[in-house]
Amino acid sequence: MGRLRAEQQNRRNREMRKLRMRSPGSGTSDPNQLFDDTSSGSAGFRSQEASGLGYPAQALLSEPMSNFAMAYGSSLASQGKEMVDKNLDRFIPISKLKYYFAVDTVYVGKKLGLLVFPYMHQNWEVSYQQDTPVAPRFDINAPDLYIPAMAFITYILVAGLALGTQDRFSPEILGMQASSALVWLIIEVLATLLSLYLVTVNTDLTTIDLIAFSGYKYVGMIVGVLAGLLFGKTGYYLILLWCCMAIFVFMIRTLRLKILSEAAAEGVLVRGAKNQLRMYLTMAIAAAQPVFMYWLTFHLIR
Amino acid sequence: MAFTLYALIQTAILCVNAIAVLHEERFLSKIGWGADQGIGGFGDEPGIKSQLMNLIRSVRTVMRVPLIIVNSICIVLLLLFG
Repeated sequence: MGRLRAEQQNRRNREMRKLRMRSPGSGTSDPNQLFDDTSSGSAGFRSQEASGLGYPAQALLSEPMSNFAMAYGSSLASQGKEMVDKNLDRFIPISKLKYYFAVDTVYVGKKLGLLVFPYMHQNWEVSYQQDTPVAPRFDINAPDLYIPAMAFITYILVAGLALGTQDRFSPEILGMQASSALVWLIIEVLATLLSLYLVTVNTDLTTIDLIAFSGYKYVGMIVGVLAGLLFGKTGYYLILLWCCMAIFVFMIRTLRLKILSEAAAEGVLVRGAKNQLRMYLTMAIAAAQPVFMYWLTFHLIR
Repeated sequence: MAFTLYALIQTAILCVNAIAVLHEERFLSKIGWGADQGIGGFGDEPGIKSQLMNLIRSVRTVMRVPLIIVNSICIVLLLLFG
């Protein structure tokens, strides 16, 4: 029953995405359902929550005392779990993070293609569903955290590989590379946050969105380093130049819709100090990406 | 180039210390960045300078006490571990 409901849900979501408009009150669509329900056998979310521990009861546990003990233990465990969840949710917004990981293979493939070749894509707007952004698996323009996280880890591994081919590898270097890249990422996100605050932009860019956008450049860095390993220095420079241009165009086209005002986003160059400042800010954020891409990879290719 | 997370923490502590040390009367008012000199009209665009002044004032107000604690911890750690 739950699987049927999930399939109907997906069909409805796909239809809404095709129409690309704000759906006014489309009935049973549930914005909380980010992931397909693939639990085998049992149906839906409610029965999963109610089943507690869930292992099959055996014959020797059918005595009333042990039943009582099992029920008491499971209620204690669920109470502890609730408390931990509630406290953890205060520091790390787990429910918001889940949205950024609701991806599927098609989305990842298309997004990687978009990061390397963004010139043909026409519509860069993020589609909404009753004021909440649609999950990334339904909208290619939505930012996600899966690609940046995977690209970061892959970058560290590829850096280890590159250093290994030059006999410069040791296990501590992996840790140093990882913390260096993480520190530069944090610095970049903090600088972007500070400049967004100073320019008083009314935008719905959250911190996690900024982390996602800053993490997209790792894809270009990986491609550049791999090309440098295969084809030497000229290959590295050519591919890195291509990826820098691609990420520059990608960032400008994505941020333009979020930072600049509506009129400027449609292509009309609105004059005025406010928009000019925002345009400079967008340009600066986008121009910082190629700088970081070169800075974090040039020492890996000799 | 080889940054560690500890270097980032040190940088952050140093920067916040630098902002917290700016004196209201002796320095900020002299260069026109005082707390009472920035609030223009209640128009819609605050402007960069007033945003900066607000930021400096709020950092100084909020981070006074935590900075005392963090600096003490840092001093003790440096004394113990060099």
